[in-house]
This record gives sequence, structure tokens and C-alpha cells, in this order.
Amino acid sequence: MKATFPLLGYDTYALKTFVEDLGGEVVLPPATSKKTLEAGVEASPELICMPFKITLGNFLEALDMGADTVFMAAGARKCRFGYYHYLQERALARSGRPFRLIPVSQYSPYAFLFRLMPVTFGVSPTRVIRSVAVMFYKAGLTHEFRALLNRRRALDFAGTERLKPRALELLEAARSTSEIRAARRSLRRLLGCNGSRPVLRVGLVGEIFFMIEQFANGDIEKELARLGVEVVFERSLLHHLRHLLHLDWSFYRSRRLARRYLRECPGGEALRTVGEAIHFVEHDRVDGIVHVYPFTCMPENIALEALQQLTEDTGVPVLSLSFDEHTSRTGLQTRLEAYVDMLRRRSRERSISRD
Amino acid sequence: MSEAYLGIDVGSISTKGVVIDRDAQVLASRYLRTQGSPVVAIRRLLRELGEMVGGETVISGAGTTGSARRLAGVIVQADIVKNEIIAHAVAACRFHPEARTVLEIGGQDSKIIILRDGIPVDFAMNNVCAAGTGSFLDHQATRLSIPIEDFGGLALKAKHRVNIAGRCTVFAESDMIHKAQLGIATSDIVAGLCDAIVRNYMNTVARGKEIRPPVLFQGGVAANVGVRDAFERALGQPVTVPEHFLVMGAVGAAILAMEETEGRQTRFDGFGTADIEFETRAFECDGCPNRCEVIETLRAGQVIDRYGDRCGKWSEAVVQPVR
Repeated sequence: MKATFPLLGYDTYALKTFVEDLGGEVVLPPATSKKTLEAGVEASPELICMPFKITLGNFLEALDMGADTVFMAAGARKCRFGYYHYLQERALARSGRPFRLIPVSQYSPYAFLFRLMPVTFGVSPTRVIRSVAVMFYKAGLTHEFRALLNRRRALDFAGTERLKPRALELLEAARSTSEIRAARRSLRRLLGCNGSRPVLRVGLVGEIFFMIEQFANGDIEKELARLGVEVVFERSLLHHLRHLLHLDWSFYRSRRLARRYLRECPGGEALRTVGEAIHFVEHDRVDGIVHVYPFTCMPENIALEALQQLTEDTGVPVLSLSFDEHTSRTGLQTRLEAYVDMLRRRSRERSISRD
Repeated sequence: MSEAYLGIDVGSISTKGVVIDRDAQVLASRYLRTQGSPVVAIRRLLRELGEMVGGETVISGAGTTGSARRLAGVIVQADIVKNEIIAHAVAACRFHPEARTVLEIGGQDSKIIILRDGIPVDFAMNNVCAAGTGSFLDHQATRLSIPIEDFGGLALKAKHRVNIAGRCTVFAESDMIHKAQLGIATSDIVAGLCDAIVRNYMNTVARGKEIRPPVLFQGGVAANVGVRDAFERALGQPVTVPEHFLVMGAVGAAILAMEETEGRQTRFDGFGTADIEFETRAFECDGCPNRCEVIETLRAGQVIDRYGDRCGKWSEAVVQPVR
């Protein structure tokens, strides 16, 4: 079996480690590019959200490289994401390439551990549980890597960009728990910044795919770092995995905080978006909130209204950015620059009035 | 010999330039149509501003803004290249320090800036389409063969303002034609259009923003008394149009240049730059599947700037970096 799955930014490495640990062979498509998006758009219904188009493009590219099994998350809970795999299966079949699509439900951990994975890979459930543990460990590493990278890059952009290839090598190579532990130490040495902190920090919230996949969000973390801003985030594959196993305590905190503005869950990840934003503002004392989501995303559009309330109550400005295949890089750049300039002027003013 | 600062704002429709003195008094200002070729417009602007201020004035700093700010910055060797939001906010605060809301509608974009105690604290830009911006008004004025200068005045003569769909320019135009075919007076339709533009602005750009007085209205569309009147009706409060509303972005860029060059030499090398040949060309990089379109600017045959590549392999290869 040559397995493939959607690219999820740095978290792709954690999924890859998981499948390889189970004995599967992974065929990763090339990093998402304009070509991927074009292929995905061509095979997709026009008004569907961006993540559908991008992941479909990834699958098409992976099948061209010889992949034969596609893993796609499934399970609908108040968002059409759960139905993606039905449509994608049809679109891939239309393309005439031979393949098998395995939907992985996000909401049945027991079926996943005791039936789906053992049957698919021909291994025992104990083995699957071990591999899941390794994936957890690795997802923790990619999460920490991103946090280290964001801080270090905001302080020294060019220098950190030069270190990045080496860091990515370390990240990719770590496969067992002991290797991951060693890689964590090396990464901390390589990217640590001895307690110094950038002047400006913003919290990243929104739809998870757009928060972790760099092509989708125009590598917003890099662009903000270039402007000297550290991006603080909470959600990544790590939290997603924890959430699926009902072990994610930060979710309960977010849900509690979000109740201030949203009494019901409008679907998707809206509660997390709002709750995390409140947490970043009140606990991490960030200077601003950047909110990213696909253009047609209904839950995030509702979250947007709640975030505007948050701005009104706390004075922390929110930059909401919706993305689709027509989003221009220039427009994104202008907004980010203006936003950072504004934050800088505000913080300068604050420090003057404090003196 | 007096010290002066140059500010240039190159937008999609118009190119604006000002020369200000240390007290931000406008010594010379010029408003030109960009007509699709910013390089030509910038050179003409420099030549005309140079003639207006004469040889006595020495430029001690230059700043650029607007959608072609980068290109303009490269051409005039600006000391600072800043986005439109900050430029507009800075200029608004200088002339009206009490302002708390700035509405700005330009040729192809519109924005709202919220100010508190002279600092921008929040902003928004139109992010989807250009409905309700200057170019649409321009197009409608041409279609009705009314000079754009008289367009707003006509709206004030309206007796019964009609309702025009303002969400999308295509719908707005067909709605206007439909109302005209019913025999409704042009002035009523134009007033309806002004209302539609304001409604669209309030529902998209200004959505969720708290508009507190005093309100400033700047940008090219502020010249239109009809839209200004529609804003006052919608907000239920007076809207001030600053004296230099057309060139506020450029004024802001000049003020920023003044701050930037405090205690050091300017990089601007005189209005003579207008006579140097500049060329801009684009090519597609085939280094990876992203196939980025790279734009390069040549000054007298020499590459002085490149941008548009995601990875930075072209832009970082240029020797002289732009700040």
C-alpha cells in the first residue's frame, strides 16, 4: 500500500510518522503550490470551500506519483467538512486514476483504534495504540517547533530562515520516541532565544486548516515574522488529536470563555476561535488577533461577529482575513503591513503614557 | 532656502503628489490620472511639482504610498514606503487631531480607520470587490453623460430618492437602467445611487465598527457632495471633508518622510529623477510549481528592484535593497 493524505503544514510530518510506524509506505505530494490549487479547483464544485480544493489537488498530485490509498478525515458535525470525502472520492474517480479512499471518522476513536487501522494495515490494536502514541509525541514536537520558529523568526528573520532547512531535517528524521526526545533537545538548542521576546505578539485563530497549512494562509506566520511580530497559536494537529480522544482540556476552557459572546455553537470551530481569542487577549496579553478562514465558511463568519464584540470590549484589534483562490498576495501584504504599523503605533503610545 | 518634504500617493485611478513644509502646510499639490501607467504618471508628477516649487526649495525627505507605493518608492528613491491606511491616518490626525473616524473612498478601494487620541486603533478595507468606489461612480457618470464634477450636485436636487441595489455594480447598473426606463428623474436615480454606495460601505467596510464623531471623509469620492450628503443622512451626524481631502494620502506620506529623515540625509535625489528612463517588466519564474510572476524595475537599463517571488530568490538577489 502506498498511502497519501492531505498536507497539513509542519504537522504533515506527524501523520507521516504515524503511517510509517504502522508499516505503511507514504507517498507525499510535492508541497502545495499554485499548480496544486489549479488542479484542485478544476476538479471541484465552484462554490465549495478552499480546503476541499487544496486537499483534492494534493490527492491528484499524489496519485500521479504512484499513491494508491487516500486517507481523508470524515465525520460531519455541524460543518460540511465531514462530507468532503464523498465528493472527493467521486472527483478522483472521474479523473480516471486507480485508487482507494479510506474515510477516517474523527468522532469514533474506538473504531479507529480497534477496527479501521488494524484491518487497513494488518496489525494488532496494541500496535495501533503504540503508533498513535508516537504520533502524539511527534505532533507535540511539530507544535513546539512552530512556536520556537515563530518567536525566533520575529527576533532575527534572516538568520532563522537560514537555520530552517536544518531544523526541518531534524523534525522529519525523528521517528521513535527516543529520537523525538533527542530532536526536541536539538531544536530547542538550535532555535531557542534565551528568554528574549519580540515587542509585538499576535494570536492566530480561525479554521484549523488555514491556521496550519502555509500555502493556504499565504504563510502568514512568516510574513508577520518578517515584520517583527511573533505569532502565538494554540491549535494544531496535537490539539485536534487530543480533542478527538476527549483529552483536550483547552477546548473546555475555550468553550467556557466563548459563552460570553456565543451561547450556542454555530458549528465548525467557532467556539474555539472565539474562546482562544479571549484567552490570548486576557491570559497571554497579545497585542492583536489575526483571524483566518475560508471565504465561504459559515461558522467562522459568525465567530467574526463575536470577535468584533471582543474588540469593542477590550480594545484589542482583530484582523479578519478570508481566503479563496482569488485572494491576492498584494492585498494580504497591505493589510498585514497596515495592521502591524497600527499595533506598533499603539504600543509605542502605551509605553510613552506609562513613563 | 526652505526645507520641504515630498509625498506621493499612486493609486489605481489617480496619482497624487504634494510638497509640504515642516509645519505640514501644503506648498504644492498635484492630482493626475494614473491612466494605467504609473511610471509615466510619477515622472510627470515629479516634473510638474518640481516646476511648482521652484529651485529655492530643497526636498529633505520623500515618502510614497498607494497601491503602487513600492514602484514609486523605487523610482523616487523614497525614504519611506508606507501603506495607505497609516498614511491617511497620519494626515487626518495632523489636520484634525480631534477626529475619531476616517471614511476613505478612493478609485478602487474603500477603507475605514478608527482613531482614538490620534492613534489608529482599528481599520478595515473592502476585501471582495470594488462596488461603491470611485471608478464605479465615474463609469455611471460617463454612461449618463454627466461630468463627474456635477454628479454629486445633481443628487442634491433629488425630490424622491429611489432605492438602488448597491451590493454589486452589475446589479446597481441594471437597477439604475430599469428605474430610468420607468421614467424616474435622473437626479432621483443619482441620489439613490449615492445612498446605495453609502449603504454598501456601511454593510461591508464599516460593518461592526463603531463610528464616533467627529467623522472625516477623504479620498477622491469626498469631492462628491451627493455621497457626502448620503453619509450624513445615514450616520445622522455631520461629516467633515478636510481641505486637502484629495491628496491626504500623499500628505501623510510626506509627514511620515519628515519623521523618518529626522537627523539624517534623504535618499531622494531631486526632481531631475523625472528625466531618467524607467522600465518595468514581468517574467514567470520556472524554478518551482508556484510559477511566481516576478516584476522587475530597471533604472537606466539596470535592475534596481524585483518582487513577487514567494521564496525570495529573485528579490534578494538585487544589490540595492528598498526599505
